[in-house]
Amino acid sequence: MIPQHVVLSELERDALTEIVNIGVSRAASNLRKMIGDQVYLSVPSIDVVSQRRAARLISEREVSELVAVRQGFTGAFAGRALLIFPETNSLDLVRAVTGNELTTQEVIDIEQEALAETGNVILNSCLATMANMLKQSLSMSIPEVVRGSGSNLFEVDEQSETEGLVLFLYIDFAVRSRDIRGYIAMIMDLPALASLKALLEDFIARVVGDDA
Amino acid sequence: MTTPLTQVDDLRSELAAAGASGTWYWDIPTDTLHVDAKFAELYGIDFEESRSGVPTRTFFRAIHPDDRARIRIAVAGILAGAEVFSKEFRVVAPDGTTMWLHGRGQCDFDDQEQPVRFTGVLVDVTERKRTEERLRIAQSAGGVGTFEYIDGYATATVSEEFCKLLGLYPALVLPTQTINGVTCPGQEPLIPGPRREDMPTTLEGTFEILRSDDHEHRWITRRGEIFREGSGYRLVGVIYDVTHAKQQEAALRDLNDTLESRIEQESAVRRAAEEALRQSQKIEAIGQLTGGIAHDFNNLLMAISSSLELLKKRLPQDDPQIVRLIDNAQQGAHRGAALTQRMLAFARRQDLNPVLVDVADLLRGMMDLIQRTLGPAWHVECDFGDNIPPVLADANQLEMAILNLAVNARDSMPDGGPIRISAEQQQEIAAGDVTDLDAGDYVVLRVIDRGEGMDEKVLSRAMEPFFTTKGVGKGTGLGLSMIHGLARQLGGSFTLTSQPKQGTIASLWLPAANVAAANPEIDAPRNAQNSLECLTILAVDDDPLILLNTAAMLEDLGHRVLEAASPHEALILFEQYPEIDLVMTDQAMPGMTGTQLAARIEVIRPNVPMILATGYGELPEGMRATVVKLGKPFNQSALESAISEAISRFRH
Repeated sequence: MIPQHVVLSELERDALTEIVNIGVSRAASNLRKMIGDQVYLSVPSIDVVSQRRAARLISEREVSELVAVRQGFTGAFAGRALLIFPETNSLDLVRAVTGNELTTQEVIDIEQEALAETGNVILNSCLATMANMLKQSLSMSIPEVVRGSGSNLFEVDEQSETEGLVLFLYIDFAVRSRDIRGYIAMIMDLPALASLKALLEDFIARVVGDDA
Repeated sequence: MTTPLTQVDDLRSELAAAGASGTWYWDIPTDTLHVDAKFAELYGIDFEESRSGVPTRTFFRAIHPDDRARIRIAVAGILAGAEVFSKEFRVVAPDGTTMWLHGRGQCDFDDQEQPVRFTGVLVDVTERKRTEERLRIAQSAGGVGTFEYIDGYATATVSEEFCKLLGLYPALVLPTQTINGVTCPGQEPLIPGPRREDMPTTLEGTFEILRSDDHEHRWITRRGEIFREGSGYRLVGVIYDVTHAKQQEAALRDLNDTLESRIEQESAVRRAAEEALRQSQKIEAIGQLTGGIAHDFNNLLMAISSSLELLKKRLPQDDPQIVRLIDNAQQGAHRGAALTQRMLAFARRQDLNPVLVDVADLLRGMMDLIQRTLGPAWHVECDFGDNIPPVLADANQLEMAILNLAVNARDSMPDGGPIRISAEQQQEIAAGDVTDLDAGDYVVLRVIDRGEGMDEKVLSRAMEPFFTTKGVGKGTGLGLSMIHGLARQLGGSFTLTSQPKQGTIASLWLPAANVAAANPEIDAPRNAQNSLECLTILAVDDDPLILLNTAAMLEDLGHRVLEAASPHEALILFEQYPEIDLVMTDQAMPGMTGTQLAARIEVIRPNVPMILATGYGELPEGMRATVVKLGKPFNQSALESAISEAISRFRH
């Protein structure tokens, strides 16, 4: 069960969606510059779900192993952000960002590094925008590339009785002519989510003013 | 430098083709909103008054209160750097009508990344909203999910119902891999993958899927249209669940496939029933035939034995040779009569004398007889349960039946062995529990051996008359059939259970008698006193031989006899001779039975003593109680007693 005090209201969800949308727009334009091809980003949809549920959502959609670029963030609210895509996409993405000029061996050689860099661009755009919009500052750690199943990525602990929550943002990003798609997720604990919710309330009060 | 107004004009001309669309120009540094005539019309504001610009809050003022906060957030988003503003919201006109508008705009930034203007187009989408609403309802009510796929992409745009049909978490966009992941192995993909180069020729197809959420097997049909777009294509289609139809189809096919075997099965059941019916009809037919033969044969024996009886009286008694010869002939006739009795028993036409019989007493009383009949190599064990109710049966016939079964048991164990005879009460037998039995309480008598037993084939014929395994000359084959006839005549049943080398259980089921209802005094004490008076007797029989004999016996007893060869003749004679004291008639005659004749005579002159001679077991219905029954064949003394009794019944 999701505790009531961190469940986002309709308006808070709209606000967060809008904020993430801005971040994603930035990320997309950055990615577009890197790839030089059409990048389609879906309007984000947002859910606060349990880690287990998040793992199931991902595995429902992706049958293969996953690759994720993971970055921790600290500040007004803390957690870990993940850019997730199917492992089979990984080399395609590297090829896309390196402009098709490398040999397969070269692509494999730089895969890790290229993925980390791409993930950094996208996640940074998102998180920085969020922090900015909420008038807060966040500091980001160095990105790391992790591989495994949905359960691994979302650190589902079968032994643990209390489950962490995931702010799950479905942002399908698809690149034309390439089978590339991915998701963004933010793992936050309850205090962090409560802080985020409070910041969203402030944001809404600021923007909507008397109309709210 | 161009003024905002000229820019609005330019925009307007550009967007004129767009039809019912209004435009806006939001000047951020001055916080002023410039709109065109159409925007003003849609928002319900005076265009002329707004020509020089209105406060930007005007943008939100007409928006439906429920949508206002959302749009404020979205505008904040675009001003902060979101790529596109694309929102749908309701606007309430001054007259109160609500319409749906779609605002689509973008933001321009200066060199310092500061927003300078937010421009956009406003389109009335009320119609489209209604259409969407109808489409959504059509989808949810009809269980139809839609999808749209543009070739080259790894994702497809889907509807909520689409996700629901496949058991996927609702989303507007799904990877084709996820969609195709629900189809069962060996199926075509529901949506072509991004690397598929050739354009599909049709979207018609049915797919077997494993629904993602509940892992249920379902059938999905896909339909739709293919649009060629440039070098690629676009697929727009629907899916819907056809599992129910598929299941019905499969059930129908299954029904068809198994039709033959089911017919075969049904036929076998019917053949078995027909076989059973034929078997019982056969036994019935043999019974009738046997009864008929026995009846005629009885008459012949009657003629022979009564003639012998009279002959013996008239011949000189001092020649031992003659006496022996006649005795021999009479013995032969008696044995013939015994045989016809057994045949009649099978045909259920024997003359039974049912009285209340205590089965345990009866069995105890005959143990000695049984043991002696069987011989020392066969040990008889008894097992009589407590509280065995009496049965209504002919004790002699019952004894014969048990002896017969005991002899059969012995014959199945040529080297000796134990024979068990048991009797017990079986209460509340339901109809159908035991062959031939109605519901009720019964007493079951069992004779159990551990002998050779019978195989199925022999067992099935064991109760047929004349069927015997004892070899020619050793048995008549009437034993079991007779017992069967006896049991049926008493409202019981006779069953055999046997397996080769395991022995046989012969069970004789007889209804437990209702003691209160039964009349223990079946026979009124007979008045055996000989009447010496000379009577005028009308003798009626269609068989001239019998008639002749009966008349001879009656005359020998000193009576005067009038002979009638048919019931009609009898009636004529009866009217002619009012001095007739007694009528003696055969029962089975063509044209009129003895009973019917008795009734006619009763009409002419009541209270005439009557004797009914019959080889048949039961008293015909409607028979007067005063009529004395005489079983055939009868001898002279039996005839004499019958006459006495008939006369005595009218002398009270």
